[in-house]
Amino acid sequence: MPVASLFDASVWAAMLAGVVAVIASILFLRTRNFFYDALALAVTEIGLILLAVGIVTGAVAGRLAGALWWTWDPRLASALVCWLLYAPYLMLRAAIEEPTQRAASAAVVSIFAFVDVPLAVAAVHWWLARHAAPAQPAGMAQATWWSVLLVAMLGVVLSWVRLRREQRRRAADAERRSEQTV
Amino acid sequence: MRYVRQIGVVMVKDLRAELRTKEALNASLAFALMILLLFSYTFDPTQEMMREISGGLLWIVFAFAGTLTLNRSFARELPNDCLDALIAAPIPGSALFLGKCFASFVLVLAVELVSLPVFGIFYNVRWTAQLPELILVLLLGTWALTVIGTIFSALTVNIKLREVMLPMLTYPVLMPALMSAMRITTVLVNGAPIGADELDWLKMLIGFDVIFTAVSLALVETVLVG
Repeated sequence: MPVASLFDASVWAAMLAGVVAVIASILFLRTRNFFYDALALAVTEIGLILLAVGIVTGAVAGRLAGALWWTWDPRLASALVCWLLYAPYLMLRAAIEEPTQRAASAAVVSIFAFVDVPLAVAAVHWWLARHAAPAQPAGMAQATWWSVLLVAMLGVVLSWVRLRREQRRRAADAERRSEQTV
Repeated sequence: MRYVRQIGVVMVKDLRAELRTKEALNASLAFALMILLLFSYTFDPTQEMMREISGGLLWIVFAFAGTLTLNRSFARELPNDCLDALIAAPIPGSALFLGKCFASFVLVLAVELVSLPVFGIFYNVRWTAQLPELILVLLLGTWALTVIGTIFSALTVNIKLREVMLPMLTYPVLMPALMSAMRITTVLVNGAPIGADELDWLKMLIGFDVIFTAVSLALVETVLVG
């Protein structure tokens, strides 16, 4: 897969992760089923990793094409904004001990981040359109459908692995707690 | 009508508590003046430079100083379990939220209205040329800041790292509103009227306010009760 299209492909995959995360978050708030919380956590984490890979490859592709590392290309900049939107989701989770409160608060943050994504992307594009950005971002190509599919499938597999790990961890945690109460 | 009165009671209670202690107001005001002063050392405040960055500078000051006030919005209720009493009170969660929003709105706006003339004096900017429009942007931008800040203040109130988490959550979500406010403010402070470009940004700002007020009201019960 050419480096050039990896950025585009990983952005599409990360968007998919965001959609799954917000649906899982709403379902958690509706049903209070902790499976959805674990699912939202798994896809958000993997989505952030994919997006980070995308941003780095985007910068590298620009550099390889002879431009600078960071030229404030609207697509790269809005990807970075989205990454900053979702990163606090994980930090908030790490800061809350109590499982129910952690899951509910994280779901709220996920919904806020998802609603904000279109506004933030539009704002970044408008802002940079005025600031003589390079007409054609250097070294980046449109993703081919198979590269999107490949990255998305990789994302699904990674999310599944992460989800299983999270569920095992929670099961062990529950067992430990029940032993303590006995 | 009952609902409006409930919002009013919470708002007046918050404002009265704040005006008696002035703990958030003083800190926020001192912080705003401090940043305004510090910025003058980071660059040479020439006329051309100010033409470019005045809106950005002002809104960074407002956003940073505003978070100090918003941090206290729900944290103030922690001693003596006041928060539990408020949540148990026979008013809807949205009335509690809106009351706190309006109280913070007034406080943040007060800090902004003090900072603006100081900004004008420090940086030699005649900022009053488009006053009505500037006030409008100030109101809309401050509402965006207080809505997002208040809902996340409620969300983080029980966390140990409260003071750290609030800005981490608030600023990224607030980014579209801040960008709109910065862009329009820069144009207005320079004495130019609102053009087609600024009108687009103004629509973005209004849309942001409407959307996030609605989302916050929809989720506030979840945030407060868990």
